[in-house]
Amino acid sequence: MAESPSVKFLGLLRVLLRHGVDFFVVGGVAAQLEGAPILTLDLDILFDKAPENLSRLLSALHELKARYRDPAGRHIEPDIDKLKTHRMHLLLTELGALDLLGSIGNGLTYQDLAGRTVVYALGQERVHVLELAAVIEMKRFANRDKDRAVLPVLQRTLEMKNKPS
Amino acid sequence: MAQPSPPTPASDEILPDESPDGVDLGLIRWTLSLTPLERLELLQDWVDGLTELRNGRITER
Repeated sequence: MAESPSVKFLGLLRVLLRHGVDFFVVGGVAAQLEGAPILTLDLDILFDKAPENLSRLLSALHELKARYRDPAGRHIEPDIDKLKTHRMHLLLTELGALDLLGSIGNGLTYQDLAGRTVVYALGQERVHVLELAAVIEMKRFANRDKDRAVLPVLQRTLEMKNKPS
Repeated sequence: MAQPSPPTPASDEILPDESPDGVDLGLIRWTLSLTPLERLELLQDWVDGLTELRNGRITER
């Protein structure tokens, strides 16, 4: 069996930033950046669906040699039409698994959640990240087993972050 | 990556290591003490280690 590549979080973020993609980090990596110790094996981002941003995103995806994680093993590459119309894009890139989301939770878009992000410095890069309280809301909405499993850790982390020192 | 040591309390206060529902509070305290970049590097270490195990290969660290 072929070895599965390990996702390279910083590498993926650097490519997206270098192409000027408007996005923020959501999901497990957002939780980890906010201080919650949880394991995740892919990078989830919520992207702006403005036409000019889709072009920048597609350019980044070309550099990353992105294709859909297709159970049938077909080689399907993202394009502008798919980015425009589909809500979720589960991709495999040369830097690992990357999930692109056009909306999260109850149909919330990049614009809807832009006011609920924090900016973190990752070396020379500045990355917008969904705040932990919003990550918790999205996990509660999704309500899958894997979301419910991490909620106690996320909730405790939020309480400890908000506790005056 | 060299991993920073967990923080020590400033006073003699004994902080609980675990919440009543089993959450490792000491681990949360530690990750909160890291910078965002260190948190991402920590996650990367976990993922790399898990991938090595999945692929059946354990290398010297």
